[in-house]
Amino acid sequence: MVPAAVQHEEPRDDELLARVAAGNQGALSELIARHGRGLRIFAARYLGNAGDAEDVVQEVFVTIWKQAARFDPARGRASTWLYRITANRCIDQRRRRALRTFIGLDDVHDEVASQEADAEAATAARQELAIVRDGLSRLPERQRMAVLLRAVGDLDIAAIAEVMGGSAGSAEQLLVRGRRALRDHLRDHLATAADGRERKSS
Amino acid sequence: MTRDEFERNKRRFGDDVDAWPAPFRQEALTFMAGETDRSLQDDPDRAFDRLVLEAVLMDSDEQALARKVLARVDAGQARPSFLPGFLLAPAGLAACTAAFLVVATLAGYQVARLQDDLPDSELLALASGARLSDNGLSGDGIAADPAAGEDSL
Repeated sequence: MVPAAVQHEEPRDDELLARVAAGNQGALSELIARHGRGLRIFAARYLGNAGDAEDVVQEVFVTIWKQAARFDPARGRASTWLYRITANRCIDQRRRRALRTFIGLDDVHDEVASQEADAEAATAARQELAIVRDGLSRLPERQRMAVLLRAVGDLDIAAIAEVMGGSAGSAEQLLVRGRRALRDHLRDHLATAADGRERKSS
Repeated sequence: MTRDEFERNKRRFGDDVDAWPAPFRQEALTFMAGETDRSLQDDPDRAFDRLVLEAVLMDSDEQALARKVLARVDAGQARPSFLPGFLLAPAGLAACTAAFLVVATLAGYQVARLQDDLPDSELLALASGARLSDNGLSGDGIAADPAAGEDSL
């Protein structure tokens, strides 16, 4: 028989946060098992750098360990709170990167995308997914964040607005524009690839 | 998601897939619905979100992540700071800096006010263009009332 707490996600996350606030490291590990993957994918795809994403997600869970008591279930879902902390850390990390690049300490490139582009080229498979990833990395930052919060975090418009610190209307606009730009990118590249194949065959 | 992964996640998160954390939830729903999911066909935005999710998925080791986080937590607890916690937060640090600047400014004004409290005779001497000696007293005959003496303007 499944325990009642497993039946619904939100009470369980709330309960875990309450136990983390009381100093229970096991609860923190469980929270990482539940949300670590989603937060890491979100951070890696937003930042375009797996190493930075790893640092950010570690920082996020250390912050949760210290500040779990600040979470108020009455003000929103636990998952929204986790994504909000992660989004803020990602923005800080991007600013630090930009500053270091500006003063010549870093030479940043899209580490995640470049590794996968090689793999895609080697297998010549799942081209559609590679194009989506490429399009995502080219989106404006806020559109990319909205699309990732929706696709990876499965957050609704209100939660996306809460994470990004804006109104529901502006969050919806960002999501609509991001999806449209990605669809256009996908359509254009698939058409180009089809043309290339036709030329080769003829 | 494979059948093995689905079963493993079911043991981790329970039978109610809707209660699983993201992105396991979307992956499981896609796996359960299969390619012919009518709800996805009826909702192109949702179908596109699933495509984006499939594109961005990457390997992740949550156990390694948990170990690293707990190591950082333990390291933080092992080295307690002698500073109060609020001073380590950016807002606390900024508040303390602002308070220090206000106190320093007020103290500076107070000291300057005491030092610049010149007697009227010296002010009159300065107004007449006379040079003050190093000890702040006027030189040759300047201490005399300018209005009464021959050095007056």
